[in-house]
Amino acid sequence: MVSGPALPRPARLEWFEEIVVPHLNAAYNLARWLMRNDDDAQDAVQEASLRAYRFFDGYRGGDPKSWLLSIVRNTCMTWRRRTQRGLSTVVFDETVHGAARESTAEEQLVDAGRRSALRDCIEGLPVDYREVLILREFEEMSYKQIAETAELPIGTVMSRLARARQRLEECVSGRRRAAGV
Amino acid sequence: MNCESARQLIDQLLDEELDAGLRIEVRGHLADCRACLEAYARLQDQKAEIQGYAPHYEAPAALVASIRAAVEREAAGEKAALAAGTKWRWAAVAASVLLAVSLGWNFATLRSGGINRDMLEESLLTSHLRSLIGTHLLDVVSTDQHTVKPWFNGKLDFSPDVRDLSGGGFPLAGGRIDYLAGRTVAALVFHRRQHVINLFVWPVDALAGASPWSRQGFNLVHWESGGLNYWAVSDIPVSELQQFQALYEK
Repeated sequence: MVSGPALPRPARLEWFEEIVVPHLNAAYNLARWLMRNDDDAQDAVQEASLRAYRFFDGYRGGDPKSWLLSIVRNTCMTWRRRTQRGLSTVVFDETVHGAARESTAEEQLVDAGRRSALRDCIEGLPVDYREVLILREFEEMSYKQIAETAELPIGTVMSRLARARQRLEECVSGRRRAAGV
Repeated sequence: MNCESARQLIDQLLDEELDAGLRIEVRGHLADCRACLEAYARLQDQKAEIQGYAPHYEAPAALVASIRAAVEREAAGEKAALAAGTKWRWAAVAASVLLAVSLGWNFATLRSGGINRDMLEESLLTSHLRSLIGTHLLDVVSTDQHTVKPWFNGKLDFSPDVRDLSGGGFPLAGGRIDYLAGRTVAALVFHRRQHVINLFVWPVDALAGASPWSRQGFNLVHWESGGLNYWAVSDIPVSELQQFQALYEK
């Protein structure tokens, strides 16, 4: 009755296992960094995966990870926008984490301190910068893949990445100074 | 090479994105310039620091299990829905809304083996409703037609004509990929005051029909252009939707 999709049902599930499932870690990592909490990240990945399944015939070869991550980041960005639209105050990414936080004595000494400083500083980056940094440093994507995933011109990828690194360095060294390291 | 040029290229050097010629030039500069070399070293340190110390989150096993379960439910639901002659499992909800007006609908099959007009209307309306109640009105958010159109590249087997009609009071909001009547289609989203217009676009094949249609307070306007079908769906008056069509076709 309906002119059906190209693949019968079992093949479509198989395709999902082959194309989507292997990249769920990358999907979750990206969502976790963009949403900055586990609950929202899980919801976003769940939603994005279902979308990937539903729109599988929108996938026309190419890098499956870029394709999936593109759906994930769009899901995250849409959610973020919605959440923020409902608030009377804008969420200022930078001011939340920009100021040096009082560090505990323990944190100054152990790796945990470096880890939390890095995490806070990355989470404190504006989301547009954070996104390209995550795709580059965690997923080790090329500029071209990042451009495809985030739907940006390659020049914008490069400038955002450079800005992200610069701000991250300022933030991390600020934290170190505050901690007296 | 001077410092200014070198500083602009050290990120690319670090990311192995430079071609051989530039790589040699930048490296040559770094060998001679202590300040730039230090800047480059800081970038290298930062990269190593991120890779060594920043958390790399893994998908919880429960999430992966939940996704698999959801996809299998979806597959089973589609199978059941297909057997019932509809595409979406939640179409039952929309169908109850539409049932009241569906009695007089004409079930003319437009092409043997193809989708009939009634099913197409239902698909269009349910897609429109779904986009309003769901969390995904837009995959690509942009008021710029030159951003929205290229976004569809590689995602569709055709290229929709994307226009921003801000001048006429129908600003472009973005687009998404949708699934309609057994195929992937482009859905362009426009705003009219507080209302949403979904413009569904796919190649002309079997589907045609008179226009406009009105169903349950929603209006549908259809035209063909350049071998593509255009279906605009909204709750704004037919006259305004036709104005939208006229602007789009201009």
